[in-house]
Amino acid sequence: MPLAEFTAELSAMRAAAEAAFASAADADAVEAARIEFLGAKAGKLREAQKGLGAVAKDDKPAAGKHFNDAKQAIEAALAAAQERLNAGGAKQRTGPAFDATVPGTPLVLGHLHPITQTIEELKDIMGRLGFVVADGPEIEDEWHNFEALNIPPSHPARDPLENFYLSTAKAANPAGKTSATNEPTLLLRSQTSTVQIRVMEKTPPPVRIIALGRVYRPDTADATHYPMFHQIEGLLVDRHVTMADLKTVLRLFASSYLGSDVHIRFRPSFFPFTEPSVEVDMSWNDGWLEMGGAGMVDPHVLQAVGYDPDEVSGFAFGLGVERLCMRRHAIDDIREFYKNDVRFLQQF
Amino acid sequence: MLISWDWLRTYVPLTCSPGELTARLMMAGLNHESTTAADADWALDVEVTSNRPDCLGHIGVAREAAVLFGLPLTVPPAAANETGPAVASLTKVTVRCPELCTRYTARVIRGVKVGPSPTWLVKRLATIGIPPINNVVDITNYVLLECGQPLHAFDFAKLAGPEIIVRTAAQGEKLEAINHHTYELDAAMCVIADARVPVALGGVMGGAATEVSAATRDVLVEAAEFAPMSIRSTARKLNLHSDSSYRFERGVDPAGVDWASRRCCELILELCGGELAAGAIDSAPHVAPREPVTLRLAQLKRILGIDVDPPVARKILAALGCVERSAGEREVIVVPPTWRRDLSREIDLVEEVARINGYETIPEDVPVKMVPSTRSAVDRVAAKVRHVLTAAGFDEALTPSAVPEELSAPYSPWTDAPPLRCSVPVLRRADLLRRTLIPSLLEARRTNESLGNERIELFEAARVYLPDTDALPREESMLSLTSGRPFADVKGALEAVAAAVGGTGSASGAGAKVESSDYTHPLFDAAACCLTLDGEPWGILGELSPAGLKQFDLRGKATVAEVRFDRLLEIARLIPKYTPLVAFPAIDRDLNFVVAENVRWADLSATVRAAAGEHLERLQYVETYRNAKDPQLGRERKSLLLSLRLRSHLGTLTGDEADAIRNRIVAACQQRHGAELRA
Repeated sequence: MPLAEFTAELSAMRAAAEAAFASAADADAVEAARIEFLGAKAGKLREAQKGLGAVAKDDKPAAGKHFNDAKQAIEAALAAAQERLNAGGAKQRTGPAFDATVPGTPLVLGHLHPITQTIEELKDIMGRLGFVVADGPEIEDEWHNFEALNIPPSHPARDPLENFYLSTAKAANPAGKTSATNEPTLLLRSQTSTVQIRVMEKTPPPVRIIALGRVYRPDTADATHYPMFHQIEGLLVDRHVTMADLKTVLRLFASSYLGSDVHIRFRPSFFPFTEPSVEVDMSWNDGWLEMGGAGMVDPHVLQAVGYDPDEVSGFAFGLGVERLCMRRHAIDDIREFYKNDVRFLQQF
Repeated sequence: MLISWDWLRTYVPLTCSPGELTARLMMAGLNHESTTAADADWALDVEVTSNRPDCLGHIGVAREAAVLFGLPLTVPPAAANETGPAVASLTKVTVRCPELCTRYTARVIRGVKVGPSPTWLVKRLATIGIPPINNVVDITNYVLLECGQPLHAFDFAKLAGPEIIVRTAAQGEKLEAINHHTYELDAAMCVIADARVPVALGGVMGGAATEVSAATRDVLVEAAEFAPMSIRSTARKLNLHSDSSYRFERGVDPAGVDWASRRCCELILELCGGELAAGAIDSAPHVAPREPVTLRLAQLKRILGIDVDPPVARKILAALGCVERSAGEREVIVVPPTWRRDLSREIDLVEEVARINGYETIPEDVPVKMVPSTRSAVDRVAAKVRHVLTAAGFDEALTPSAVPEELSAPYSPWTDAPPLRCSVPVLRRADLLRRTLIPSLLEARRTNESLGNERIELFEAARVYLPDTDALPREESMLSLTSGRPFADVKGALEAVAAAVGGTGSASGAGAKVESSDYTHPLFDAAACCLTLDGEPWGILGELSPAGLKQFDLRGKATVAEVRFDRLLEIARLIPKYTPLVAFPAIDRDLNFVVAENVRWADLSATVRAAAGEHLERLQYVETYRNAKDPQLGRERKSLLLSLRLRSHLGTLTGDEADAIRNRIVAACQQRHGAELRA
């Protein structure tokens, strides 16, 4: 056997052995590699030793040196593998017992209120549909809460029992003196539609906004009513806006929110600030689920903010945030939202 | 509105099931509430929106059904046989307040036989929950529920004289109504009176003294129209709501007043006998004709987004009772029926066509224009704030905007003006609009304490309502926290909020800078301060004093803070700019100063910064150490440990250079604050 062939085979075997020991993951694998390469009867090194006899006599010293190098390297690889695997174990044996099942150090995170989480998701979806968030005051005058929304003084919605009117400055501060004689009547807004008016008064069309926030209506608090709640309201006014656009936007919205393709159903309804007005349902488990109210912006409203109803048209819709949130998280009592029991808050 | 299925079918020959009918009505605007079986009949409960008082009677609902199913509607002719003398020879009506009672009609029937109603009538009323009284009263109820026009029958003999006077009540005048409650009236209320006293509360309820009884022989039948606002205010003031007031509040068909009167008399003659006087007294027989309304046919497509064939649209309007004046290629002009006061504009006609044509014909998959939308700065800042605070272990609370006196009075850091007050409480006793969120959060803290919850770490971002001389009050967004952790922890959370929004601070002055100054308030402990953010007022922070804990009935320790959200908006750096990193290594030096107790960190650190110069990359407070037994400290002194990181952007600082800076700092601190190095 030529020396070159002998050394080549030896090198290949040495590389294979080193790789096997280096990659051995446990004691069994190390033992298997030891038998394969260093086994006394049929190990590959033993086989190579036999090959040494077949090398030409002149080459024998060189071949022998190669063989011894390879043998030392493989034995070193075995020792390294054994040491590597024993390292962890050695510590275990010397120190106290380690219990890996002990829980990790608690990382105490706070939780966002479920109403906030719902609002953020709704904003996010409507943002993707091109609606920007608009804001307005919670304490409103009658123009923005009623008149501009086509709710005349004779309308039952303006009944003092249906709203939280503010007492006049004089009544609130009996000791104080009334400075302004024609103070406007103020109230806590009963709907976020007030923001529509404020935005349209300042912005020429097109307008594409959502308004979100607290609204107030005198309901006695029970499992499904609370005198303060949150509304999301969308408004799109432009040339050529139709009810088909309204239905499409609501379908995209509902499908995005639920993560599946849903259908939208309109039922006729009545709101002073939209005409036609509809109740909106979305398909849900082979049935229909009420979403909220919607409609085409009433021409009176467009006129009230200085728009020309023959030039532009628009739609508006309003949804109750609490209702969406309660359904999504199977919450059965609206009062939980405002009790702020941390055991409740920490569930979301 | 309860509808008897049997009764309804006397006006429209429906062949569908009650279920099919309610399904169709629901999709046309009459929401279906429930269907209940009632003695071989069905009671259908449908919800009538406030714009559709025409559907507050069986005929109105039958008309909708007839339009939807393409069936004929049969309305009884209401032909009462007038065989008696002229009614004017028997009675007289004077309306003194025509603004409250816009129309008053009276008919008189003499010689009726009052007794029980026939079975069919009793049954129909029973289906919709009206108990039988006697045949005359039952008929007035029946006609009310047939056409929506309230009626009243007086025992003619019990009136003091033959004359009916419609007037406002005298202040304090009393009336016993047929429900046998006595009401004290005021001068804004409309009453029906005889020569002496009120005999009915106009449009709301009849009086007990003149009600029809078994002994009644002659009756006066009233069919009238009252002003909606006046009826609403009377009903509300007396807390007396009736089927009549409900309908007058929403408005009755002005042309239906006489029909109802005749229909009532027709049924009385048929079921109770008697002789009807000829003609009627009518205070306003002229019903103003409706103004015609033009529908530009192109508006249908423009608003609805679908094509509606003009013949279909015209047919729908006609079926609903609109009379076509003219019809061209581009527009139709119709006169709406008197019972549909809600139809006065083009858009009203568009809605009628849409709802009868069916909203299911409107597609839900049209292309909608794409437009960009940008997240507002408010939302971005709010998101950063929430990230920091939830990471810091705070749960978000939402508390009501209105608070009771005991949560409003004790604390108001932003204004001395009294709080705005609602005319009725929003929640029990809570009628004051809050000027700070802190008491609300402490209330939530107390609730949680009483529930035995241990970790109560809450924040809320909401508005406070500050009275202002402007038309609208000032609504300011506040960020408020309550914690069981000490002052420094909450301050650290707020500093982290400021850094997240305004950028991380550095020696070069970039980033948001939170500074504190003394704050004393009885509700707060010594560990309290006012905060500024980049030099402008930001808010307050502190641990509650024993008095503060007692005020809010708290057992455990509590730290609170409230800062102005808008200040965060003002300093927000939503898009941070990259600062090139210096490759040269830094050198750290620690300093442990001994100073008098009255030396404050803010002052000492300012001296350190000034003395350190441009190479100071970071100055870190490490700790304060006090030990009265330590000879170098004693009672009057403390040690302040601080850590410096020095770096030059021009080259590697040497140890000697760093020591020189350190020595400058030591010298300056000694000179300015009497600081000496800890031995």
